[in-house]
Amino acid sequence: MNPSAESPSSIHTDCAEVQVPGQVFLVIAVASLSENLLVIVAVIKNKNLHSPMYCFICNLAVFNTISSFSKALENILLLFKDAGRLNSRGPFELKIDDIMDSLLCMCFLGSIFSILAIAVDRYISIFHALRYHMLMTMRRVLIILFTIWVLCGTSGALMVGFFEAATVKIFFIVLFFTALLLILLLYVHMFLLARHHANRIASMPGAQAQHRKSGLRGALTLTILIGVFVACWAPFSLHLLIMMICPENPYCECYRSLFQLHVVLLVSHAVIDPAIYAFRSVELRNTYKKMLLSSASRICKRCA
Amino acid sequence: MSEYSNRSQAGADYEWHYEYYEDEEPVSFEGLRANRYSIVIGFWVGLAVFVIFMFFVLTLLTKTGAPHPEMCDASMKPHVLIGCELEVGGSLAFSLPPLPDQSRSLFHFYIHKEERVKTHKDAVIGRGMHCGRGNAERADEDEHFMSSFNIPNFVNSEQSSSLGHDDFLLSEPPIITDGQSDELKTAEPAHLCYDIIRH
Repeated sequence: MNPSAESPSSIHTDCAEVQVPGQVFLVIAVASLSENLLVIVAVIKNKNLHSPMYCFICNLAVFNTISSFSKALENILLLFKDAGRLNSRGPFELKIDDIMDSLLCMCFLGSIFSILAIAVDRYISIFHALRYHMLMTMRRVLIILFTIWVLCGTSGALMVGFFEAATVKIFFIVLFFTALLLILLLYVHMFLLARHHANRIASMPGAQAQHRKSGLRGALTLTILIGVFVACWAPFSLHLLIMMICPENPYCECYRSLFQLHVVLLVSHAVIDPAIYAFRSVELRNTYKKMLLSSASRICKRCA
Repeated sequence: MSEYSNRSQAGADYEWHYEYYEDEEPVSFEGLRANRYSIVIGFWVGLAVFVIFMFFVLTLLTKTGAPHPEMCDASMKPHVLIGCELEVGGSLAFSLPPLPDQSRSLFHFYIHKEERVKTHKDAVIGRGMHCGRGNAERADEDEHFMSSFNIPNFVNSEQSSSLGHDDFLLSEPPIITDGQSDELKTAEPAHLCYDIIRH
C-alpha cells in the first residue's frame, strides 16, 4: 500500500487517536498528589486513626500518591522530550519509561487491592463485630499490607516486562472483574443489613422521616462508590480486552483511539478516592481542622 | 507499511524486500454500517444503565422495607433503645466498666428490643447479656441482630446514643475516637447498661 497517496475518504473515516494534552495529566496528578499526601499526613499524625480501617485507607492513599507522582514525572519528562532535550529512543530514557510504567502498574494494582481490603475490613467489622478486634489485629493488618505491596510490586514489574504477552492483560481484566464482583457483593450485603436494621429501628414511633432520608443517602453513597470504581477502571480494562480480541476491527479501533481519555479516567480515580473513602470520616476532617488551626496559630505567633 | 523490492542486477534468484513495521496497516473503514464509535457509546450507555439500575434497586430496598413489629403481640409495647458498651476483648459482660487502656476497642451497641411483659423479661435480659447473640426467639436473625450497633470506625461520633441513627458506613463512616469514647465511657456507661437490667 502506498502511504503517500491517501484517499480522501480514509481521512474522514479514520479514527485518529484522541490526544490529551500533557497539562491535563499534570494538573490531575498534582491535585491527586496533594490530596493523598494530606490523607497520609492526617492518618499518621492522629493517634486515633491508627486503626485497621484507617491503615487501609492510608495504604490506598500511598498507592495513589506514588501513581500520581510517577504520572506527573512522566508528563514532565514528556514535556522535556517535546522541547527536544530528551531522546525518546535512548536506552536511559527507555529504562526510565519502563520504571515509571511499572510503578504505575504497581499502583493501579495496589489501588484495586486496597479498595478490596477496605471493603473486606468493613464487612468483617459489621458481620463479625464482636470478633473484629481479634480478627484484625495490627499485626495481621501489617502482614496484609506487606503482602499487598510485595504482590503488586512484583506484578507491576512483570506486567511491564512482559506486556506483550496476553497473560498480563488477562490477569488485569480478571483482577478488575473479580474486584468489582467482590465489592458489589460485600457492599450490597452490608447495605441490606443496614436496611434491615434501619427498618427495625423505624418500627419505633417517630423515626420515619430519618429512616427514609438516611436510606436514600446510603443508596447514594453505595452507588457513588461502585459507580466511580466502575467508571474509572472499566474503560481501561475494556481497552485491554479489545486489544486482545479484535485488533483489526474498525469499531474496536475507534474504541482504542480513546486510550488517553481512559488513562485520564484512571488517574482521576486517584483524585476521587480520598473524597469517597477518607474525607467521609468526621475524625479525619477534625484532624485537618486541628492541623490548620495549629499551623495558623503558629504563624500568628511568629507574626506577633 | 512501505515495501521496497530490490532486485539484484545480475538476474538474481533472490528478491530482497525491506519490511517496515513502524506504521501498522490502517484498518479499512469502508462500509461501516453503524457509527464508528458504537462500541464507545454502547459501553457508556451500558455503564450508565447499570449504575442507575443499581441505584433504583437500592432505593427500592429502602422503600419496601416496611416496618413490621416482628415480635409484637396484639398489645402495643414500647420499644426501648438501649446503648450498651462492651469490652471488645470478647467479654460480653456488658456491665463491666471499660478499661481505660483499651479505649480504642470500645463499641457502642444499640440494642433495639421491645419491652415485653414480665414473663419475657428474662429472655430480654438474656439477650441483652449476650448483646443479641444466640437468642432462641430470634435464631433466624442472629446475624442481623448484630447489625444494631455502631462500630468504632463507622459510628457517628457526635450522636452516640440517638435513635433512628442510621448512619452506617454507607452514609458516613466516622469513628468514635478515643477521646470521645473516653467521654462516653465516663458519662454514660453505668446508666446505659443498667437500663437493660431494669427493664
